[in-house]
Amino acid sequence: MIEVIDLSFSYNDRPFIDMNFSVKKGEIFGFLGPSGAGKSTLQKILTGLIRSYKGNAIVNKTECKSYKDDFYENIGVDFEFPSLYEKLTGRENLKFFGSLYSKKLRDVDELLKMVGLQNDGGKKVSEYSKGMKSRLNFIKALLHNPDILFLDEPTSGLDPNNSRIMKNIIINEKEKGKTIILTTHNMVDATELCDKVAFIVDGNIKALDSPHNLIMSKGAAKIKYTFMDGKEEIRECMLGKTSEDAKLQELIMSNRILSIHSSEPTLNDIFAEVTGSVLQ
Amino acid sequence: MRLINLIYGDCRFQFKYGFYFIYSIFTIMYVTIVLFLPLEWREKAAAVLIFSDPSAMGLFFMGAIVLFEKSERVLSTIAVSPVRADEYIISKVVSLGIISAISGASIALSADAQNMLIVITGVIAGSALFTLIGLIVAVNINSLNQFVTAAVPIEIIIFTPPILYLFGYDNKFMLLHPGCVIISMISGSSDYILFLPIFIIWFLFLYKMARINVIKMFQNLGGIKL
Repeated sequence: MIEVIDLSFSYNDRPFIDMNFSVKKGEIFGFLGPSGAGKSTLQKILTGLIRSYKGNAIVNKTECKSYKDDFYENIGVDFEFPSLYEKLTGRENLKFFGSLYSKKLRDVDELLKMVGLQNDGGKKVSEYSKGMKSRLNFIKALLHNPDILFLDEPTSGLDPNNSRIMKNIIINEKEKGKTIILTTHNMVDATELCDKVAFIVDGNIKALDSPHNLIMSKGAAKIKYTFMDGKEEIRECMLGKTSEDAKLQELIMSNRILSIHSSEPTLNDIFAEVTGSVLQ
Repeated sequence: MRLINLIYGDCRFQFKYGFYFIYSIFTIMYVTIVLFLPLEWREKAAAVLIFSDPSAMGLFFMGAIVLFEKSERVLSTIAVSPVRADEYIISKVVSLGIISAISGASIALSADAQNMLIVITGVIAGSALFTLIGLIVAVNINSLNQFVTAAVPIEIIIFTPPILYLFGYDNKFMLLHPGCVIISMISGSSDYILFLPIFIIWFLFLYKMARINVIKMFQNLGGIKL
């Protein structure tokens, strides 16, 4: 569904984007990276806004720099910050943005209900909370039933309940065969939702694989234990090397362990290890 | 169909944000002023009022409209929708042209203008021209202060020659200035006819500039600035 081959883009005469990857139909592909890494610029290339790139960026069988008029009929973008007319109601916003497409639209009331806004469609957006705006913005991207969705921090600013609802909708869209590009700082969401993730730093992909494979290939499970030695001490050792940890052996034999936990590395740990930077 | 929806959307936006209300007040005020003037002053006074306000309002309103659109980030969504830069520009020109035409016609009627068709054509042509200029300025600014700073020298360049032309400095070469052609039409004179091709060249030039600037604005939303 998306093919990026030897894509390069220079900005102010310095290379900024240089990457290869592909996204299959029905896949959720996550872009993870710090601010300024090139995620938005890549999204602008894939949505046809930047055409001065080299190499190939093919979306839905169309080279992005030479797209035809119907290119945007099949692309839905949910920006990180709401892009809505504040003085129009939620329903008026959806109807206006929907009227810009020639495709058959999804039912507005059904979409509002899906994100719990069925009783708020008649309110002005200026009266919405931050979370309500995020949810309305999200369904705005689904309105014209696009084949490809670009979602930028879709759960940002949402309470756990609404975050869960949004993630379920994303999974549901994937099951319908939608291809989803997810840009996020949230490693928990990326681990749960993405079939593949790419770590982007300075316009380059530093690692690309499924979250599970990245975690298993780059890290190993650890155990963390605490004990009293005058004051409370914490130590760690790799799960596969417990027999080599003399202190752990000694504590077990003397029943002095206060607590013991096993833990796998998170995607965040792997990101830090691979890229040398930490996501907020 | 999309263009019609876009124009309808822009008209609704302008209505909801009070543009129609403001212009109703201004129009009533201008009509009242014209009706209180002596008969022999009315035609020129109406021409100046129509030229400097209903016709030129695109210059001021485009700043407000684009700043609203930028602050509410709706341009990001429009940029990745099937809406083309041409449709975006035409929608702005037509939607503001409707308010200009209604307001301009009301003032002209109060002054007993002789050739209403030419007057309204002049108002619409002026509105289109000023909207394009306003759009070119507005897409390159990020605050009202920046807009006002940029708009003042443009106003001087655009408004001074037509007013001089109307009040006697009527050298025909003045009609190379698009504002003079517009005020010539609004005042009901037929001087403009020979200079219409020059006005069209100005219009096409400004349209091209607006198109380049709108495309650049769409590209610069989020990510790096090209």
